[in-house]
Amino acid sequence: MELHECKTRAGPREFGPHDDLPREYREAATRMIQFHANSEIMGAYLERPFIRQSPSLDRKLAFSAKVQDEIGHGQLLYRAAESLGIKTREEMLDELANGEGKFLNCFHYPMTEWWETPMIAFFVDGAAMRRQATIKRTSWEPYAHAMDKICFEEGFHIKHGEHIMRELATGSRREQQLLQDAFEEWWPRILQFFGPTDDESTHHDFAAEVGLKTMSNDELRQAFLNAYLPKATEYGLEIPDEPRIREEDGRYVVEEDDLNWEEFWAVANNEYAGSHEQIGSRARAHDAVAWVRGTIAGESA
Amino acid sequence: MSALTGPDVLSAAERSAVEALVFPLADDEFVIAERYTEWQVRAPTLESDLALANVAQDEFGHARLWYDVVADLGYDEPELLFEREPDEFYHASLCALPFDAGDWADAVVRSYLYDTAEALRLGSLAGSAYAPIANRIERITTEEEYHREHATTWIERLCVDAEGRQTVQNAVDRLYPYALALFEPGTPEQTDAIESLNLRTESLPSLREQWIETTSTFFESIDVSVPVVEPLPEDPGRHDSHVEAWLSLYEEFTRTYRELDRAHTPTITSEHNDG
Repeated sequence: MELHECKTRAGPREFGPHDDLPREYREAATRMIQFHANSEIMGAYLERPFIRQSPSLDRKLAFSAKVQDEIGHGQLLYRAAESLGIKTREEMLDELANGEGKFLNCFHYPMTEWWETPMIAFFVDGAAMRRQATIKRTSWEPYAHAMDKICFEEGFHIKHGEHIMRELATGSRREQQLLQDAFEEWWPRILQFFGPTDDESTHHDFAAEVGLKTMSNDELRQAFLNAYLPKATEYGLEIPDEPRIREEDGRYVVEEDDLNWEEFWAVANNEYAGSHEQIGSRARAHDAVAWVRGTIAGESA
Repeated sequence: MSALTGPDVLSAAERSAVEALVFPLADDEFVIAERYTEWQVRAPTLESDLALANVAQDEFGHARLWYDVVADLGYDEPELLFEREPDEFYHASLCALPFDAGDWADAVVRSYLYDTAEALRLGSLAGSAYAPIANRIERITTEEEYHREHATTWIERLCVDAEGRQTVQNAVDRLYPYALALFEPGTPEQTDAIESLNLRTESLPSLREQWIETTSTFFESIDVSVPVVEPLPEDPGRHDSHVEAWLSLYEEFTRTYRELDRAHTPTITSEHNDG
């Protein structure tokens, strides 16, 4: 298929493994899905200590199940990426461990305290849900198909995050303060979740033209703020003065200059201090069990 | 047929016999599940990661089933887990032993040894005179069978070459003595009470003999030798000394509870109402 035909035909769930797609399409789709799959793994990585540190058996089970779901999402997404014929799952997992693989900005930061967990389990997962819901209409059918299951499970994760947040928000004054502190620390990163403003996004135009992306970063951030700003306020969280957020004609406008884009790009390139930390842990875990993969490699041969 | 239908009919002595029997069961499941969760996001493949997470969650679920039996005697969850002192836990050290990063053979051998013991132990409780114990056996047994199958399959997979078999052998050498301690009885008084009330229908030494027979037969069939254990480790767990690593596990799992000061919940609630 020629590229112009690919752009003309592009629509929700239009293409699958039976289509002879141009290399540009397959590379762009691989990049997008690999990023998504990597993010599932690295998000799970950040949350795993809280399986042990949960303050009740129910929460412990929920965290273990959530981490397990994220690994399951990674598995589905790598499969959807693999079906594009550019990279194998092993290659993508190796890239993640050796620092070539990219993943969501929020997962480059350490999370050490229980009261930080809703920042990911509620806000970041909520933001992810916004993006993922639009991917149900992406043009690569295996990706859209994976999203049906993923969105269903993410709904439970957000509820789990919201329960923890509610518990802290209605707890002692100290708990409320700890939650507010965590919110102030994570809020700018959460606003950067959707990436740079449209005119600085390098991959958006092509991805939109071939139907891989169906909404722009700005539109997604808008949808997220519409839903989650009121939620934050409802739980008694004070929105920090900076970055400034104006309301214009029923839309929230984030003052982009108030956000630290230098840090964002360092994160995006895996060059932030936290990137080294998270990727290093991942690499050590990946390498420690390489011998098992070597041992069982003979089985299928 | 269970004669003791529930918590209301128990005398003080019967009640303490039930506790002496059930705490070790619950603590074993809870602590081994904690160790299994360390494999989440660290298992050799995404598939094995998902499988071991299932096993961990099943064991936490079983722990809850057993903790519920003692909860019905008047404890709440914080008392059973987060406020108990580390030396008041009664798990066997097999469950709490740490392992080297990447030692997947440890995970599957530990699971095989534990789940084989578990199957025997559950068999000895199916006819328990205390109904809340007997009632729980069927559900737990089904899941433990799946765990044992999973562990057995993995052990056989690792034994495809000499190097893999050596990792299994190392894990067996290290874990077997601690696994034997799973069958260590409590105090003689507790053992007498448990057995005379028919809370358990077989003795621990008899279960241990069957366990040695089953595990030895399996390991011999895959050319892995079973070590001669004499005497048992100095830190077998249960009522005796716990392994040192148990303390750091305990510190971690109680950390958030302590930092949130959950032990003083009533004060927190009234403070919140004031504000």
